[in-house]
Amino acid sequence: MSTQRPGRAVVTGIGVIAPNGLRADAYWKSVREGLGVLGRISREGCEDLPLKVAGQVEGFDASDLIDERFLVQTDRFTHYAMAAAALALDDAGLGHDDDPEEPFSIGVVTAAGSGGGEFGQRELQKLWGQGSKFVGPYQSIAWFYAASTGQISIRHGFKGPCGVVASDEAGGLDSLAHAARAVRRGTGAVVVGAAEAPLAPYSMVCQLGYPELSTVEDPDRAYRPFTAKACGFVPAEGGAMLVVEDEARALDRGATVRATIAGHGATFTGASRWKESREGLARAIRVALDEAGCAPEEIDVVFPDALGVPEADRAEALAIADVLGAHATRVPVTAPKTGYGRAYCGAPVLDVTAAVFAMEHGLVPPTPNVFDIDCDLDVVMSRARPAELRTALVLSRGLMGSNAALVVRRGGGLAR
Amino acid sequence: MITTELTFGELATLMKQSAGVTVDPSQLEDAPETPFSGLGVDSLGLLGIVGELENRHGVALPTDAERCKTPAEFIALVNNALAGV
Repeated sequence: MSTQRPGRAVVTGIGVIAPNGLRADAYWKSVREGLGVLGRISREGCEDLPLKVAGQVEGFDASDLIDERFLVQTDRFTHYAMAAAALALDDAGLGHDDDPEEPFSIGVVTAAGSGGGEFGQRELQKLWGQGSKFVGPYQSIAWFYAASTGQISIRHGFKGPCGVVASDEAGGLDSLAHAARAVRRGTGAVVVGAAEAPLAPYSMVCQLGYPELSTVEDPDRAYRPFTAKACGFVPAEGGAMLVVEDEARALDRGATVRATIAGHGATFTGASRWKESREGLARAIRVALDEAGCAPEEIDVVFPDALGVPEADRAEALAIADVLGAHATRVPVTAPKTGYGRAYCGAPVLDVTAAVFAMEHGLVPPTPNVFDIDCDLDVVMSRARPAELRTALVLSRGLMGSNAALVVRRGGGLAR
Repeated sequence: MITTELTFGELATLMKQSAGVTVDPSQLEDAPETPFSGLGVDSLGLLGIVGELENRHGVALPTDAERCKTPAEFIALVNNALAGV
C-alpha cells in the first residue's frame, strides 16, 4: 500500500451499450443530435403486456466481444456489462492482457437494479415445468445482482477490491463514488458502472406495478419530463461502464484523463415520496458540491433525474433552485435520456458519459421530445447548445427513494 | 449397454451445451488428461453436465462425478456407473 497522499479519481475509459449506440462515440453522436430511439418492445413473450414502448438495445451481438462460455453462463444484463467493460478498458488502454501484471491493483464495482430476470425466468420455468433436476447450475450465479461484477473480474483477472452497489437507480452514481473512494485508498483503477436488461416478460411484469411507469404507446409522447404533458418514465436497457483510475497512475502510463470524479452525495427519502425528494436531492447536491470544493455558480450544466412525473419534476426543479439559487435559472439543464429511456442503474452512468463528452466537446446536448417547459429551468431543447463546460452536476433518484448527486470536472487536471 | 456409453464426442457436445465451451472431440480423445479447468469448464459447468446425463439416463450418478478433474476420469466414472444400472 502506498504511503503517498491519495490522488484524484479520474475517468480514463468509457464503454457504452445503449439503445442509441453500441459504443461510447456512437452513443454521444445520437445524444448530440437529440435522436429519439424509443420504440415498440419486440422481445419474445412481451407482446401482450401493457407496457409497449421502451429503449431497446438493437443489433447487439454479444459474441463479438465476449467468449461463448460467458454468454451461456450469464444473463443479458451481464452480457451488456461485460461488453461495456471491455470497451471501457480498450478506451483506457488497459486490459488487453488476460493476465494483468498487477491483478490486485484493479477492482470492479457495478450497480444493479434487478439482476438477471430473463435467465432467472427461464430456469424457474424449468423448475416448475420439469422439476428441480432440470434447473441449470449457473442459475445459482447468473440472476444475482453481483453477477456482472464477478464475471468481469473473472474474465479480466482483476483481483482488486470488488463490490456491488444495490441502492436503487441512484446506485449508478453511488457506484462511481464507491470506485473513487477505492482509488483514493490506494487501488490503481476500478472498472465501474451499471447495465440493466429489464425488457423480458418476468422483469416487465415486475415493473407494471410502478405508478411512475409510462404506458403511453406513442414513442414521441411517452416520456416528456418538465412539461405539462409529463406522464411517467419509459424504461430502457443497457448502460455504461467506466474506468476510474488514480490520476498519477493514469498520467504515468500516458493515459488521457477524460474527467475527474470530484464530489458525491447520497440521501434517502422513501419510495415514491416525490415531494420529499426535494429536500433529499438538495441535501445530496450540497454534499457533492462540498466534497468537490465547488461553488454553486461553478456548475456549467445539470443532467437531472427527469423522472417525468409532475410532482417529481417539480421537486427536482425546486431542489436545484434550493442549492444553486439564482444560478438555477441560468445554468443549462439537459436530459438526453428522454430520447432513449431510463436504464435504471445504467441511466445515471449514461448521464455521466454524456456529461464527459459534453465537456470535451463544449456542447450541451438537447432533451428530445421535450418542448413546452413548465418549470423555471433552462432546459436545452431541439438542438445542442455550444458552451464552455468545466463542471457538470448529474442527479439521480430511484423509485424506492434513493437520491444521489455527482459532480464531474472536465479532464486535463483542472485545479480543485 | 453399449448405447448408453458416454463418448468423447458426446462429452464435447455436453461441454458446449452446458458450459458454452467449444472443444474438438478428437482433442479430448487425444489428450483426455487435460484438466476441465484448463479447457474452460468450471465446477458449475461440470455440475450441469452431470445433471444433463442424469436426466437423460434417469439415474443418479455418484457424487464423485462432479468432482472429476479430467475428461478421462469423468468418462471412466460415468461409464462405470451407467454399466452398473
